[in-house]
Parts: sequence; C-alpha cells; structure tokens
Amino acid sequence: MIMKLTKDLKVLLLIYLILLLVPIFVHTDLYLMNILIMCLIWSVVAASWDLIMGFSGIFTFGQIAFFVIGAYSSAILTQTFDLSPWLGMPFGGVVAGLTGLLVGLPCLRLKGAYVALVTFAVHMILAPLLKSDLGRALGTGGSQGILTIKPMHFWGYSFSSMEPLPWFYTALFISLLCLLAVYRIIHSNWGLAFTAIRDAEPFAKSLGINGFKYKLVVFGITSFLTGIIGGFYAHYVGVLSTRILGLNLFLILMVMLVIGGLGRFPGAVIGAYLATFLSEWLRPMGNYRMLIFGGLVVLLVVYMPQGIAEILFPQDKPGPLERIRRRVFPKERRASLSNDS
Amino acid sequence: MYELIDVIISGVTNGSVYAMMAVGLSLVYGVTKVFNFAYGSLYTLGGYLAFTFFGCGFGYPLVILLTLVSLYLAGLLIERVIIRPLRRREDWEMLAMMVTLGLAIFLDNLYQVVYGPYVKSLPIMFSGNLQLAGFMLSIQDLVIFGIAVLVMGGFMIFLNTHRLGMAIEAVAQDMTGAQIVGIPKDRVFGFTFAISTVLAGFGGILLAPKYFITPFGGWDILVKAWVITALGGMGSVRGSLYAAFLLGIIEALIGWQFGLTWILFAWFAVLLGTLIVRPQGLFGTWG
Amino acid sequence: MIEIERIDVFYGEFHVLKNVSLNVAEKDLTILTGPNGHGKSTLLKAICGLQPVCSGRIRFAGKDITRLSPERRVEKGIVYIAENRHLFPQMSVLKNLKLGAYNKNARRDEAANLAAVFELFPRLKERKKQPASTLSGGEARMLAFARGLMSNARFLAIDEPSLGLAPNLRMNVFNAIREVHKRELTILLVEQNIPKIAELADRIHLLEEGEMTFSGDRETALAQDTIKQAFLGM
Repeated sequence: MIMKLTKDLKVLLLIYLILLLVPIFVHTDLYLMNILIMCLIWSVVAASWDLIMGFSGIFTFGQIAFFVIGAYSSAILTQTFDLSPWLGMPFGGVVAGLTGLLVGLPCLRLKGAYVALVTFAVHMILAPLLKSDLGRALGTGGSQGILTIKPMHFWGYSFSSMEPLPWFYTALFISLLCLLAVYRIIHSNWGLAFTAIRDAEPFAKSLGINGFKYKLVVFGITSFLTGIIGGFYAHYVGVLSTRILGLNLFLILMVMLVIGGLGRFPGAVIGAYLATFLSEWLRPMGNYRMLIFGGLVVLLVVYMPQGIAEILFPQDKPGPLERIRRRVFPKERRASLSNDS
Repeated sequence: MYELIDVIISGVTNGSVYAMMAVGLSLVYGVTKVFNFAYGSLYTLGGYLAFTFFGCGFGYPLVILLTLVSLYLAGLLIERVIIRPLRRREDWEMLAMMVTLGLAIFLDNLYQVVYGPYVKSLPIMFSGNLQLAGFMLSIQDLVIFGIAVLVMGGFMIFLNTHRLGMAIEAVAQDMTGAQIVGIPKDRVFGFTFAISTVLAGFGGILLAPKYFITPFGGWDILVKAWVITALGGMGSVRGSLYAAFLLGIIEALIGWQFGLTWILFAWFAVLLGTLIVRPQGLFGTWG
Repeated sequence: MIEIERIDVFYGEFHVLKNVSLNVAEKDLTILTGPNGHGKSTLLKAICGLQPVCSGRIRFAGKDITRLSPERRVEKGIVYIAENRHLFPQMSVLKNLKLGAYNKNARRDEAANLAAVFELFPRLKERKKQPASTLSGGEARMLAFARGLMSNARFLAIDEPSLGLAPNLRMNVFNAIREVHKRELTILLVEQNIPKIAELADRIHLLEEGEMTFSGDRETALAQDTIKQAFLGM
C-alpha cells in the first residue's frame, strides 16, 4: 500500500508534523490543548463530511448524527460490558457505519435535495429518540445524558483530564489514521468512481459504474470514521448529552467545509482548525458568535466557494489570480491566444 | 366523538396553513430549483416582523400589509444577492443549499439577538366561538382557515390564468424553453422567491397566536413543509394541497392519541414511506 | 441583418468557437453546416443570448446586442428554434403556442399568428388540447417551429429541424421553412441534410472545429469540394 507523495498528502503530513511538536511548547496550557484536541476530532468529522458531500456530491446532514451515535455507542458499550474504550471506539464506528448504510439505502434513488431532507430528518429525530424511553432503556440516560464515561487508559495508566498530553497524542494517532483512510479513498479507484457519480452520473452508469453500490460504500465509510472519532470524543469529554445535536455545531461544521473548499482534501482539515479557533475566539461574544458564523457561511459560499484550498493549492489549473483575471477580463484571453497562434 | 371532531378540525385548520406554506415551497423549488433551507426562518421572520409592527401600535390590517411587503422585499433581496451569483457555477444547487442553510441559522440567531430567547406572541385576531351543529368552533380558527384557503385559491387562479402565472409555470417546466419564448427568467426567479417568502411569512403570522414565535421555531415548519411537498409531489400545487390537509389531520390525530413527542416521528415515517414507495409523490409532475 | 464579428466561446477551458465571423443579410436564407459537435448549435445559441460570448461582437440591424439578455433579443425579433425543442411538456399545444407570443411585440398579434400557424400546421390544430409531452417527434418539432413563429420573429435561428424525422415529415418542415421565408423572414438554418434544402439557400457557411472554413453564395458553395465532402461525409 504505497502512497504517492502528492501535494495534498504533503500538506496533511506537514500539519501533523507541526502538531506532533507543538505540545512540547504548550502542553501546560490546558485550554489551548483542549482546543487542539477538539480540532483533531472535528477535522475527522469535517473530512468525512467533505468526502461524502464535497467529493462525492451527496448532500447529507448525517455527519453529526453518526458522530453522536458513535459517541453514545462507545460510551454505553464500555460502561455496560466494562470494556476498554479502545474496543468501544471501533464498536462505535461500526454502529455508526451500519446506521450510515441504513440511512443510505433509501437515499440511493433520491435526488440531491431529497437526500438532504432525509438526512436532516434523521438528525432531527435523533435527539428525541435518545431522550425517549426507548433510548433510556438502551442506556442513553434520557435527557440528562450520560454522566460518567470511562476514560481511556493505556496499559493500566488511566488518562485524566488534568493531563492533556496522552489524550492529545491518542487523538493525533487516531485522527491521522482516519484522515489517511480518507486520503487513500480519494486517490483510489473508489475515489474515481465517486467523482464520476458526482459529475456525470448517467455517463458513469453507462460505463458500468454501479452508482448504488458506491453511494452505499461512501455512506458507510464516512459514517464509520465519524463514529470512531465520536467514540473518542465521548471518552475524552466524559459526558454526553443531546445538546451536541443542536444546530450550532452544524453551522460550525459547515463553516469548516466552506472555508476549506468542498472536495479539496485536506481543505476540510484546515477549515476545521480555523473554524474551531474562530469559534473559541468568538465565544465571549455570546449570541453574536453564531450570527457571525452564519453570516460567514453565506459570504464564503457566495464570494469564495472554492475555499482556502483553492488559494493554497489550485489543481493544475492556472493560479487563482490568473483565473480571476480571466474571468474579469475575458478579452485578454483572445489576446493571449492570438499570441500563441 | 366530539373530541375526535375537534381534533380533526384543528388538524384541518393547521393543514390549511401548512398547505399555503407548502405551496410556496413547492413553487420555489419547482421554478428556481433551489432547496430553500431558510424557509422555516422566513416563516419565523413573518412572526417577528408582525410583532415589531404591533409594537409600533398599528392594528392588524396595517401590520399584515407592512409585514407582507417587507417579506416580499426580503425575498427579492435574498434571491438577488445570495442565490443569483451562485448560478454561474456548476455545483450551484449544492451551494444554494449550503447558503440557505447558513442564512437560516444566521437569521435564527439574529432573532435571538434582537428579540431575545423568550417566546413572543401576536394578539388573537378574533376571539369567541361559533356554535355549529353542536360543535364549538373558534372564530380565529375559521378565519385562519378562510384566509389560507383564499390565498391559495387566488394563487392557483393566478398561476393558471394570468400571463405571469403562466410564465412561472413555463420556467418551472422548461427553463430554456421559457427563455426561448422571451420570458425574463431572472425576474421570474426573483418574483417566485419573493412570493414564496411572503407565503412562508404569512403562515408565520397566522399561526403565531396559537403556537407563538420562537427564534428556532422555524425548523419544525421547514421539515413539515418539505414532507408535505414531497408527499404531494414536488412542483405540484394541487398535490401539496391534498397532502397538507391529510398530514395536518394525521398530525392532530397522532398528537391526540400518542402525545406530542410522537408527532415528529410520524412526519418522519411519512417522509420515508413516501420516498421509498413513490418518490415522485402523489401528484409529482414537474419533478 | 445579423453580423457576427470575431466571437470566441469557451466552455470552461474548451475553446468551442474560434474567432468566428458570419453575416446574414436581411431576407436571406443562410445555411450553416458542418460536422457534429463542432459548434454550430453554440453559434446559434450565442446569437440568441443563451450562450455568453467571451469576446467579439454580435450586431442585429446595426445595433450591438452582444450583452443583451435573451428576452430582450426575443423582443427585437430574434427567435431560436432549438434542436432539443424545449417545449413545455405538461402544457397543452395551445398553451405552448400562446406562450410563444409572450414577448411584448407579439402579444397583440397573438390571435392572428395563431390562425396562421394552424393553417401552416393543421396537425397541430387537431391536437391543440393535448399536452405537449404526448406529441410524436415530428409533431413536437412542428410545435417548436410554430411556437417560434408566434413570437413575431424578424430573424429565425433554426437548429437541425429535420433531424431524426421521416422523409415525408422532413419535407413538411422544409416546406414550412420555405413558406416562412417567402414571408420575408431572415433565416439562419443549421442543417446537415444539405441536398434537400440547398436550393432555398442564398448563402452557405461551413463550420469545422469551431472555425468558419467557408462562406459563400450557393453556387460557389456547391462547387466546393469541402462542401461536397461535408455533406457526403454524413
């Protein structure tokens, strides 16, 4: 499984290299470390969402739902069966993945907007479901949520919330694995199939690409990855409630995607860091925070739909300045062409 | 037995308003092909605008007039400034969904900042009840029902007979064909979006006395309106009508029998069922 | 009447029309031909405003219309009859035709045009209440053509009207074109089926790979080997 050192991989590894070293300087700043860990977590969620939405063109709202399912599953499993979180996380991933497949099934034949609607409905249903008696019976703690979740441990050493370093490096490790998986998928035959389905579905079908199969696959994989990191989140934060299903998180995730640029790996990762820091920075502003984020989404989509990724690494096209110039002054194209001929 | 009829009447009243809103949503999707996630927030906008105008001391008729005009302008503005620039890109449908979603949350938080998190309400239009064949009907409900039906009826007549109405249908059925025939596509888009905003906001005004105005109350409505249009058939005004009344009644019945928490599940079940069994809805035409 | 001056059209990075110029004199019937996919439809769409032009100018009756919106061009009398027809499927034949008269200049003549169109295409009159989606291929083409006529055109840009039609229907279409041309409409016709229609043409142009490789009057054109190849090669 050799991976060519393409540009996007280089950027990703660079980011992780920096992250590897950063804690050495700041590990006493608990607040900052917490933000960084959350960045690591969200970057996986954002990258997965970008994989299914930006890259494969399926407009879903399911990511947070799968995240939460993974979190709850891991929390409940480790608590009920006294298992290690290291087992709980993959289990959370599997449960989320299966849910993803289940949600994906009815969406296969649907047009884009309907998929959005169904997944949005799934998201909206999840909170009441978790709070209901059924949820309580499964161990979700109803509206109170789960108040004690097993912390991670490594060979007998139990992670504590006062020591961020073990959490950090665990998150680093897990998120890197997940992101590498996303990277691998993008640059594989599967990735080609996904883009084919996104850009020209009838044509892809005529080539024998089974749209249904690939759509299911992408649903399953992205929800699986999100579920795993959701499990980590549960053990890290130590408590779970349905508040995360609120729309604010949604909005922040969207900002991550839009900043990063849809379908431009690892744009979503960069977006995750930027958005998380922005969110923290704006926290003292109270309600205005979400207002700004909402406005940010609108502005970014209208004025910079390609996101930062386009500016940092345009894909073998003329650079961004050139493209802007061409769009504003199309006549110049003719001049340059007649120079060629 | 009386209780059952009461419940059904309530369902029908709600259904009429849902119908009006679903028509607006179906219209905007059918014509502009934009999935307007901000529709719920525009519903709330109607309520808050009316509330503000009431605060200025105006009476109901003036409040409604001012609110509707403001909603129309808001719709035009949104379409012009936010949606139209996106059309140049190939992936504009997805971008439009994202931008309307961003707008929705922006608006909701704006309401929270401006009006605070506590519920607001509008005064009841008409108090009192009517005795009809042994049933007590609140006049307010009757009025709401009447208004909603009038608005919808008027709108459907407009679509069928007036030149602009036919132009709107034309754009919905074949955008390029409409351009070929000389219909100003952009103006039709703007108008349609504005009208759908008015319908959404008007629904907000009508239901506010009963269900109050909250910053995040639009999402329930959004989902319901979408389920109705999906069931009725995206783009089919008649379908949205039937579906709206049907679902309004079902909702009332389920709430009565099983409690409020199950209502959301019921809507979801209907949505899922529709999309699996008959994705184009009952009367799906423009599709 | 129509002057196209050195236009370029790009689909993204793909250079579809390269420095193309074309003049259509008033009341002429001009044929634009050439292999498939080489830009003929694009050129028509550019004239009608459905395809933006990256450089160059388009003039109609002396006025520059390069930046004019499609609906304003229709008002001026430029009407496009597309290969894909773009009818309104759930509307009746009659309603389709009525919508053809949407633009300001055509509204007052709606009744007269309707009568004329039904005379030209009696089959449409028979089917006037039927939804457009129920029409056969040939009838749909007739409807598209008729709808275009409802717009009080001064200039018709017709894209492959006979494509896929049975020979007798093809003759109907060409006869209709001939009739309409007699009524002093300027026509730019894209066709690959040249032999049948060539006699009507005043001028013939050949578009290959986005470039205008030949422009001339009918006699000269039919004597050219390139033209002969262009329609023999189909």
